[in-house]
Amino acid sequence: MKNILDRNQNKADEVRKILSSQKVIMVNIISSPGAGKTTLLERTCEKLASRFRIGVIEGDITTDRDAQRLKKYNIPIVVINTEGGCHLDSHSISKVLDSFDLASLDVLFVENVGNLICPSQFDLGETFKLAVVSTTEGDDKPAKYPMLFREARAIILNKTDLIPYTNFSRQNFITDLRNINGSVPLLEVSCTKGDGLNEWFNWISGQIDPPATSVASPLKGG
Amino acid sequence: MHEIRIAEDLSAIVLEAAKQENLSKVTMVNISFGQLVQIVPAIFEFAFRESVRDSIAQDAELSLEIVPVKMKCAVCGTDFQVKENHFACTDCGSTDLKIIHGKELFIKSIEGE
Repeated sequence: MKNILDRNQNKADEVRKILSSQKVIMVNIISSPGAGKTTLLERTCEKLASRFRIGVIEGDITTDRDAQRLKKYNIPIVVINTEGGCHLDSHSISKVLDSFDLASLDVLFVENVGNLICPSQFDLGETFKLAVVSTTEGDDKPAKYPMLFREARAIILNKTDLIPYTNFSRQNFITDLRNINGSVPLLEVSCTKGDGLNEWFNWISGQIDPPATSVASPLKGG
Repeated sequence: MHEIRIAEDLSAIVLEAAKQENLSKVTMVNISFGQLVQIVPAIFEFAFRESVRDSIAQDAELSLEIVPVKMKCAVCGTDFQVKENHFACTDCGSTDLKIIHGKELFIKSIEGE
């Protein structure tokens, strides 16, 4: 038995090793087009760029429009144009890693190409995947794309302010999500109105800078 | 459309293996894909045909097995098949699970002459 994506996996393992040696966490953000990945990054930079050293890799089929939106935060940004490709892979990440001064970064956000299936299959060497889904896409996304909702370390439900104007059922969404992943944190936000964003800032801050384990247990490390 | 990239990686592995084994023709490629990988077999077959066109694998038969999702409960140890996206232990109800099958993208064997 040979894994068909061995080449991608080996490179992803290499990327993970480099990031880990530099103590940089990499967040692979996956969503449909228009779910709000870039807006989430805008809000995150506004709030956290003074606290953490943030870098961004923008995966885009073509154009650098998302990157342009983030320029004002004066953070290092690299654009990967996939020229039609529906996902990023570990080789494309590995190639741009040298563009960053990793020693002076705490977190590298990767905005994957807007797509819920393909990016879920390709390990980039990330520390974890983050799924972003918005209420205007309908409440059936977890049921239709179980792999992403199983693998993500957290789920962002964006555009909660628009629920009254859609037929999105929060109850159906949560029932389906909990069937697929009973324990994954769900963060309900509106990136344009600001609702719920404090929970997101707290959660992501805890991932970048985990609270130090307090008084060492006398049972550990003798 | 991840089928295209996976088919390209598969054909590269098949052709490399055929070269190593001094095959003049690849006749059969046996692969298994986990259900969670959400491969559409017809698109995959099409992408594979395109990527082996004009090679010694161009007439190879592709045998694709889809493997159902199987998990192991981390609490009580029960193995069970996931039905209708219900990822909870069928015995104790725990959602603390380890995946056994369902994410495969494997080449089982390559046949040729």
